[in-house]
Amino acid sequence: MNWQVKYALANFSKEMRSTAEHVDGNVIRIMTHDRPDVLAAITDVETVNRETAVQYREQTEGLDFLCGYRKECVWEGEAIRYLEDNRIGWGSFGTLVSAVLDGNANTATHKTYKFSDRLLRQYGPVMRVDREFDRVHRVTLRSRAEFRIGMIAAYEPTADEVRSLWERFGGVDIAWNINPNGTPQPEASAAGRELGCEVMKWDELKDRLSKA
Amino acid sequence: MGRIEGPPEQGLISASEVAVHLLERCASLEHFNAFMFGSTLHGVGEDIDILIVGPAGDLLAQLKKELHSAGESLPLHILYMQPSEERRTQFVAREKCFSLTQLAAVARQGC
Repeated sequence: MNWQVKYALANFSKEMRSTAEHVDGNVIRIMTHDRPDVLAAITDVETVNRETAVQYREQTEGLDFLCGYRKECVWEGEAIRYLEDNRIGWGSFGTLVSAVLDGNANTATHKTYKFSDRLLRQYGPVMRVDREFDRVHRVTLRSRAEFRIGMIAAYEPTADEVRSLWERFGGVDIAWNINPNGTPQPEASAAGRELGCEVMKWDELKDRLSKA
Repeated sequence: MGRIEGPPEQGLISASEVAVHLLERCASLEHFNAFMFGSTLHGVGEDIDILIVGPAGDLLAQLKKELHSAGESLPLHILYMQPSEERRTQFVAREKCFSLTQLAAVARQGC
């Protein structure tokens, strides 16, 4: 049994409302009273691209959810679109646990970025959102101005988190600290300035988009 | 110190065994202060939270490579802070972090 499946099963064993069992390979089944059973694949890849998503869907009949177990797992935009088009939920282990209890595993999306993704799409000045990665969005405004926005979920983003976002995903115009209770460290803002991006919270971002 | 629970055959390793593993596999840790915090200290955790405090630059890049390799089969979640960031947030005290060296000593005493 792979390490990530062991961790998933060990963590479900603590969850009193659900039980989980190993099916085969990276696939587990989760049973919850009064909720549909969930067939989930638990992957240890660092990046889920379209090819990975297709492979899991084709290998697992009836797959409900694809879980990237590593905290740093990155989901490419094409993989996200493929999974959503095929009614397969996707995201972190925490997303899977919530989806199982909510009974919406087939439509669940990574809970870390779900609210921020929706905020951008529903904000008036925004005309188009191209989700390049789970946490990187290219936004086109009605004014035709474009911004590439990277999301940082940490409570207190550090300089390293800003640099790592830039190194992993390429340049962004704005590093958006999406944790509503968070405050970027001064070193994070300084790292952003060195690289050529601004580190900000939603209120500042909203203001910037409305004036661009 | 908590041990990751579950049937023994699952073979999930304890917090102190993780510390030993990381210290043995990551020589560059000697240039940094390294800690563990979060749920793994108290039992089974969804991931293993590690804090590294030290300067940015080439040594950090080397350490990241070593940790990446050491974490191939572990759910490491690593936070990197500069010393000034840790001082401002008092992260070590606030999150009740344990140094990896302390944790490793617990494992070695148990041998």
